[in-house]
Amino acid sequence: MGSMSKFDAVVKVRQTLADVGIDPFGVLIERVLSPTEGLIQGRPTILAGTNNYLGLTFDPRCIAAGCEALTKEGTGTTGSRMANGTYVGHRQLEQELAEFYGKRHAVVFSTGYQANLGTISALAGADDVVLVDADCHASIYDGCRLGGAKVIRFRHNDPTDLAKRLRRLGDAAGDALILVEGIYSMLGDRAPLKAFVEVKREFGSRLLVDEAHSLGVDGDGGRGVAEAAGVLDDVDFVVGTFSKSLGGVGGFCVSDSEQMELLPYASRPYIFTASPTPATIASVRAALPLLADGHALRRQLRENAERLHAGLTALGYTLGAPVSQVVAVVLDDRTTALRFWAGLLERGVYVNLMVPPATPNNESLVRCSVSAAHTPAQIDAICAAFAALRDTL
Amino acid sequence: MTHASVVDKLTKTIAPLVKSKVALDESTQFTGQMELDSLQIMDLMLAVEDEFDISIPLNVLADVRTIGDLAREIEQQMGES
Repeated sequence: MGSMSKFDAVVKVRQTLADVGIDPFGVLIERVLSPTEGLIQGRPTILAGTNNYLGLTFDPRCIAAGCEALTKEGTGTTGSRMANGTYVGHRQLEQELAEFYGKRHAVVFSTGYQANLGTISALAGADDVVLVDADCHASIYDGCRLGGAKVIRFRHNDPTDLAKRLRRLGDAAGDALILVEGIYSMLGDRAPLKAFVEVKREFGSRLLVDEAHSLGVDGDGGRGVAEAAGVLDDVDFVVGTFSKSLGGVGGFCVSDSEQMELLPYASRPYIFTASPTPATIASVRAALPLLADGHALRRQLRENAERLHAGLTALGYTLGAPVSQVVAVVLDDRTTALRFWAGLLERGVYVNLMVPPATPNNESLVRCSVSAAHTPAQIDAICAAFAALRDTL
Repeated sequence: MTHASVVDKLTKTIAPLVKSKVALDESTQFTGQMELDSLQIMDLMLAVEDEFDISIPLNVLADVRTIGDLAREIEQQMGES
């Protein structure tokens, strides 16, 4: 095999983009103007393609905490916690996350991707079986691969299909680890966690829920879909990220399991990477209480999501899921979605282009993510851009 | 079940899901001749698993290139269950 042939698929996709004359993966945000606005191609542009769900990236309290840590503790930790030491802030954030969830243990990771990679690879080794929702994020699949567990895929959001596959496992079902997400990032649909918990109980399996997109968004206290469904106590492991509603970077796992004390020692993505910077930890620690008390932010986010969802529905667009902060518009094919995405950018609206194989059911999407910091006028401007493009389809 | 009968049942199961007009037999390749991408293969696998009432781990799919390869994997899973 030639050294470049492994890139054949990428070359093909890039050629498709070049033929259309649009590069959706090379967007440069020349200047960030606010949580919801940036300068792109010299134009002030509404940012509706971030995951800044609560708009906390510019919260003065988080910025002040980050600046203070930067001044007092320096720019970086320069190494991993295992080899180069844990800072007090790392430990404090873990305690605060454990308290926030009412779980005994928490482990912080350097990115959200590594939180899944590090948790799943440590929990599920070569002798274990994991059952993965078909639409789970790449970080979940990669975590399974790194750990070497036997991976069985079940139909998306289908507890009956999960039960069928657990039944086939026989006695091994009791040791199996089930992996699902709270809100799925592509379409914005929620997992039926109550039904999944019933299945998990029936077979005595363990359940891990990735609340990356639902932390701060769902639940009265912002803990995610598990809290909203009233099943947080039944979820064995909750994984989350700092890089969305908390406005930082990093990730975590919380659990009551005694395995958590050993997890860092068995987790290569925890051991062999630099720990989060003091400024990152400090800004996340400042954001966490704002998220916990964020009823007004969640109400605003919901109102914005409903406004966009209703606006696009009224325009006749097919949307990927009922209302959530992720509003995915389903388009006919890859090229249509590409041109549509570029048309929105020309009209001052930045969203995400999502095409197969990253999307479920081979769908081509433009994905809007709503923030509590969007003004109603910005939501209306997004709708107006979609309205202007409707006749071009 | 004999290998031939597994291949026969497998071929009948996947035929409605394959859009290319290639003839399906023991040596037909999933990605090349059937023109299926990785996502389509995953969905096809769910249908195959239901038909045979087995679960085929994702880990083994890297070694499955043809209908015959998949039939052998199915036989192994049926033997284990």
